[in-house]
Amino acid sequence: MKTIKRSKAINLDNLRKQTGRNFVLRPLALGIVAALMGCSSKEEVKVVASVQDCVDQTELDQEQCEAAYQQALKEADRTGPKYDSRHLCETEFGNCRQSGSFWLPLMTGFMVGQMLDGGRDRRYYYNPVYRYTNPYSGHYDRLMTSDGSVIGRSGKVNYTVPSSATKPKPTVTKTVSRGGFGSVASAKSSWGGGRSGGWGG
Amino acid sequence: MPIKPRSHWKERAREFGFGFHTMYGEPYWDESAYYQFSLKQVEQDLEDPTEEIHQMCLEVVRRVLADDALMRRFCIPERHWDFVRNSWENGDPSLYSRLDFAYTGQGPAKLYENNADTPTSLFETGFWQWLWLQDNVDSGALPRQADQFNSLQEKLVNRFRDLQFLTPGRALHFACCKGTDEDRGTVQYLQDCAREAGLDQHFVFIEDIGRDAAGQFTDLQDQVITWMFKLYPWEFMFREEFGAFLGGNNIRWLEPPWKSILSNKALLPMLWRLFPDHPNLLPAFFEDELDKAAAHETLVKKPIFSREGANISLVQGSSVKSEGMSQPEAQLLSDGPYGEEGYIYQAMYPLPKFGENYTLIGSWLIDDEAAGISLREDSGLITLDSSRYLPHVII
Repeated sequence: MKTIKRSKAINLDNLRKQTGRNFVLRPLALGIVAALMGCSSKEEVKVVASVQDCVDQTELDQEQCEAAYQQALKEADRTGPKYDSRHLCETEFGNCRQSGSFWLPLMTGFMVGQMLDGGRDRRYYYNPVYRYTNPYSGHYDRLMTSDGSVIGRSGKVNYTVPSSATKPKPTVTKTVSRGGFGSVASAKSSWGGGRSGGWGG
Repeated sequence: MPIKPRSHWKERAREFGFGFHTMYGEPYWDESAYYQFSLKQVEQDLEDPTEEIHQMCLEVVRRVLADDALMRRFCIPERHWDFVRNSWENGDPSLYSRLDFAYTGQGPAKLYENNADTPTSLFETGFWQWLWLQDNVDSGALPRQADQFNSLQEKLVNRFRDLQFLTPGRALHFACCKGTDEDRGTVQYLQDCAREAGLDQHFVFIEDIGRDAAGQFTDLQDQVITWMFKLYPWEFMFREEFGAFLGGNNIRWLEPPWKSILSNKALLPMLWRLFPDHPNLLPAFFEDELDKAAAHETLVKKPIFSREGANISLVQGSSVKSEGMSQPEAQLLSDGPYGEEGYIYQAMYPLPKFGENYTLIGSWLIDDEAAGISLREDSGLITLDSSRYLPHVII
């Protein structure tokens, strides 16, 4: 058979851009994003509010649920939204606690599900979930993961989420300065009156 | 070969977010013609040499990292030597590169340079020219058996899967500079490929990257960056304020720091030293080796660090005969902001002229596998970031 030298198939849907929506960035601050369910793969997860709830609603036993809760708490410390003041935190999440120099929202519950880790081995994950309570926002009463991804209206047990919601979230820290990269590019682009091309080559 | 542009191509461009098909008011994407290759030309003259030269380049990396004097010649700041060396020792994986060739259609293609750190025109190559071929075959404008040397997207997606396996438990942050549609488009395309591979990915502009008290880098959501693709040259990052934190924080980089040896024009004289008279190489020399260059009638003088054809000039080989003449008289071909780190000299080998245009071939690698080609043409001898991009077919 003749060898084909090009990509056999490309999923055009994955590359289609909605006009006007190109490169829209998350808003600053918490950066809430409605979970885009369109083309990404979805998963069924359960959101439970307590260890007892976990035992009742999932196939995990008491000991496993206890461990899951502890792990979710740890994840909340590491990945949860962090605010400089109690007021800022409470405006968005109502109930907050202090941890070091930050204020963090209290975890409303945690997500329990199984993840296919690159198709290699199955394991459970336990991401903390928060209830957003800013009454002036369209996201009022929505549950979200610590990176601000909305998973649905609060009050249910079963949610269908994009598989990205089930992945471990990045650690969140306190940024003390920005703008430490980019100065060489900006110095060179002032040469010759700027450019619209890039820094690739 | 001339061909009729697809009647709906601008709509297609909008549909897929290809916004920089026109630059500086001039067309960048040009589908009024295409280049045609035979399978043999592609496999023997481009694909095989591309993979071979990549291996030769890795040999240069090995030699340079092992030799402080060479590290200095490559202008790697001494405080980053450990950072660069560790990335090589740890076997930090790479994503992609593009080798630029002058190729007449027969005989060996000649290597101009290696864009190993921040190559662009990836979307146009991996997807856009693929779609052009598909549309033209579907409409009957091109024969059904027409193919293209372009498995770039397929290999990119597969490579992202491998990279996630090699970098478990980390989300990938993509970054480029503000104010450049071309770079943002390239990065968006990479994000699309990474998403298809199932990666958890984020975006942050280079200028928005922050740091915490411990020197960890952060995005605008204050999330700690642990794995980053940056379409921004290492040689810039080394010299900037946050460069001081490189190596001190736990981040995996794409491209890895050892690529700073390859995206460096000092690579060219090193390749010539290690593999003299290789059919795909042009003779190239460091400034202090110019006594060996006298046999070459004309040399092209290139800055150690430069992008997109900036600061190129020509010198006559005869003018370097006299000893101790380190700055021979040069005829400036293109202006630009580079050159403070010194220059290298490469034997002049003009781009082949097809019709009214000079054509440069970019040959892509995903990791160490040749993955496709891109063609750029210009009415002048130097390919700039504004040079037109044309599709190709294999028939």
